[in-house]
Amino acid sequence: MSIPNIVGLGVSAFFAVLCVALRFALKPEDAKKKKRKNRLTLVGTVIFAWYFVGTLLNILSGRSGITLALDGFEMFSDRVDVFGLSVARTTVVVYAVVAVCAVFALIFRFVLAPRFDADSPSGIQNITEYAIEAVDKFVRGTVGDSLGENLTAYIFALAVYIMGSALTELFGQRAPTSDLLVTFSMALITFFLLNYYGIKKKKLSGRLKALASPSPVIFPMRVLSDCAVPVSLACRLFGNMLGGLIVMDLLKGSLGGYSAGVSAAAGLYFNIAHPLIQTYVFIVLTLTFINEAAE
Amino acid sequence: MTALAAALALLPALGAGMFMGLAVKGALDAIARQPEASGKITSALLIGLALVESIAIYSLIIALILASKA
Repeated sequence: MSIPNIVGLGVSAFFAVLCVALRFALKPEDAKKKKRKNRLTLVGTVIFAWYFVGTLLNILSGRSGITLALDGFEMFSDRVDVFGLSVARTTVVVYAVVAVCAVFALIFRFVLAPRFDADSPSGIQNITEYAIEAVDKFVRGTVGDSLGENLTAYIFALAVYIMGSALTELFGQRAPTSDLLVTFSMALITFFLLNYYGIKKKKLSGRLKALASPSPVIFPMRVLSDCAVPVSLACRLFGNMLGGLIVMDLLKGSLGGYSAGVSAAAGLYFNIAHPLIQTYVFIVLTLTFINEAAE
Repeated sequence: MTALAAALALLPALGAGMFMGLAVKGALDAIARQPEASGKITSALLIGLALVESIAIYSLIIALILASKA
């Protein structure tokens, strides 16, 4: 508990109270002036209250203000003990996410779905139908009607999985998508589907012929570029999520107590909007690669 | 020295950022010219941006590998 901290506390509390008092005390006649006064006092209150809370948190936790240092960053997540096995923490989180999704899906299938009424949809049925229809239309628009039937289910599950994993960061856990193994497993499924649909639609000979399409010389190149698909998909999602994680960690770590409202505001982008964009990109690329292989 | 190498490994982000800007400029030009095609242009732009962005992401990963070994 140092003197600058106490001075900061007092001054910020004084100005915050002053702003609130001004808001209620001043009563300008002009409507334009009133609006401006309201805005100014609101901004002032927020800023001084934020400074007060930040300083208070710093005093309570014994941290020294802004440090601009990221302590102990690890590329791979730490490991925890599960029944004597050393398991990455993200793997445990992934199982939790899958369990929650599975329970939700079971409830959905056996409790909510039988109550759905085809004639007069309402509430949750409308939302479900809208979501499934949007995904279905999107998938069919990208890969065509012949593959769309089964792929829609996978793509929907993938979207829920990636978003669910990314949202665990809101609970203070390291997001599983910022683990290279988790993203690589998803990318491997894409690689498998790409070959499966390619061989199913054109037979093995047709697929090999398509790989050597302009001339046989290019065949090794095409095989190599197909093998690069899972690597690039996995690294893209991993890098993006890790980037978001580092920015959030940096904000929380360097601002100390002053990260009080800042990380919440930044989290709107880095924990919600950014994962949504990356989910979209992952899905679009998966569908594009499958479409390319099956065409 | 590893820190320097990690910083240098981030140089591709410069190029990626510049040319992502160029791609967005092109897409905006196209949308301004043909507003009715904006849906198709946007999806093509997003795929292109994702591919360009992957270069920056690779450099970030390499930098991180270098930095976390140090």
